[in-house]
Amino acid sequence: MQNKIWVMVVAAILTASIVFSTTNPTSTTRSRLVIATTTSTVDSGLLDYLKPYFDKRFDADMTWLYLGTGQAIAVASRGDADILLVHDREKEDAFLASGNGTHRATVMYNDFVIIGPANDPANIRGAGGAVEAFKRIAEAGGSGKTLFVSRGDNSGTHALEMKIWSAAGLDPRERGWYMEAGQGMSSTIRISSEKQAYTLSDRGTWVKLKSALGEALRLQILFEGDKMLLNPYGLILLNPVKYPKINSELAEKFFLFMVSKEGQRLIESYRVAGEQIFFPAFGKAEDIGLPSEEEEVRYWIKRLFENGLEPPPWVKQR
Amino acid sequence: MAGWEEVFYGLVKAVELIFSGDPDVVQITILSLRVSGLATLMGGALGIPLGALVALRTFRGKTLVVSVINTLMGLPPVLVGLVYYILLSSTGPLGFLRLLYTPEAMILAQLTMVLPIAAGVTISSVSTIDPKLREVAVSLGANPLQETAILLWEARVGLLTALVVGFGAAISEVGAIMIVGGNLLGYTRALTTAIVLLTNQGEFVEAIALGIILLTLAFLVNAILTLLQMRSRSSLFAQIYTREPRLKW
Repeated sequence: MQNKIWVMVVAAILTASIVFSTTNPTSTTRSRLVIATTTSTVDSGLLDYLKPYFDKRFDADMTWLYLGTGQAIAVASRGDADILLVHDREKEDAFLASGNGTHRATVMYNDFVIIGPANDPANIRGAGGAVEAFKRIAEAGGSGKTLFVSRGDNSGTHALEMKIWSAAGLDPRERGWYMEAGQGMSSTIRISSEKQAYTLSDRGTWVKLKSALGEALRLQILFEGDKMLLNPYGLILLNPVKYPKINSELAEKFFLFMVSKEGQRLIESYRVAGEQIFFPAFGKAEDIGLPSEEEEVRYWIKRLFENGLEPPPWVKQR
Repeated sequence: MAGWEEVFYGLVKAVELIFSGDPDVVQITILSLRVSGLATLMGGALGIPLGALVALRTFRGKTLVVSVINTLMGLPPVLVGLVYYILLSSTGPLGFLRLLYTPEAMILAQLTMVLPIAAGVTISSVSTIDPKLREVAVSLGANPLQETAILLWEARVGLLTALVVGFGAAISEVGAIMIVGGNLLGYTRALTTAIVLLTNQGEFVEAIALGIILLTLAFLVNAILTLLQMRSRSSLFAQIYTREPRLKW
């Protein structure tokens, strides 16, 4: 009797293994694109929003790796992704200078906000700038009145935060009031909420998380609008000679899609809880106070026309 | 929403998701089952013979080998993931295989974790078999291969336990498959990595729902094992001793 059961078990295991090894749930023949990107483009839901449009137009399967900017650049420089969409200009320029990337354009921007508890113990609401706000947080932290939670994950947001600290002439690390989460933006905001601490966030992730958590998120935007808090996103094409194994053909199509009239319009039309959180930036670098990208813009306009695509209306025929 | 409410809505949502057959959830669940199932079968296919070999042979350094296997049973998944990432990275030594961010890489990482578990549990269950059984088998003229087969048959519940423990470790693991799989939507997103992402994004109800699916799978596998254990009380050893007709090999 029991032997029969054992025979059945063995048969079941064998059947299961045959089923497992033959069913490939992803028997897609579509070409896959792997974007190494930041937590903010994922957490804000922008990529989820863009995916069906890109997939349909190019018969592709767009996927992404959820990383901080530092990690995304490290993964791309090993040739483990097809294209890079990040926000840390210094690291981006270094990546291009080392020959890992061939083209870069600013495709969109939003801004950073300083968020914290409603009672604002460091009184940053009336601060004259981001640097002054950080100085006040450090002061209040030093007297035990508040805390600051840092991403601490080598991301673009973390890089900007460190830039503000050094502009304020402070090194907050190893201070009792300063915590490093080592996690993505959403997790860091949630930790800040639990600890009733201050943190620096990109606006997109903040809005998305606020709409997901509502009253459970006990923080507010306390400081915004400093030019220093501008957050431009760069799209970087990897060097196909250096990384022959990547899907460079589809990567270029994604680049074209993002800088085309359609892509820029989609970025503009994305809303979270009724708020626009990304602004198209292709060909607008100088208007938003960034160094000129004339050469790149001209190159991509040429490539757009060659591929039967249209540049956005604000880019004049140059 | 706070606390228990989320767990409750998570339960409701889980039932909804399971019965609505949401294609994303189905795909994620199948991928988890496929990756962990195959990793367990392969890990078992390699680990059980290895464990039997170590348990039944006497050789120098046996104690050391057993301790090493026991240590590896607790291999940190995140370390396995990291090592495979470095190996499989396209500029790494195994980059030519193009395996990084594929389900196959996930299977490889989990297989590495399951193998020592299967070997370790096999060693402990084969070692506890009454030594008289071996003597009886040999005296009845069994050759070494038959002898091993008899002993493994005797330890079958333990071997099945090895597979179930391995499967439990594999399906609930997140560190390794997050690194080598990359959590790619529709391709390498498994239950555990999806839960991490949903939690990060504050989608707690959906995260709990997937967690409940994960628990249900683990429960089903364990229920089958318990059922089998209850059925196979009487052992081969008892059969031989009581001169009952025994099965033909």
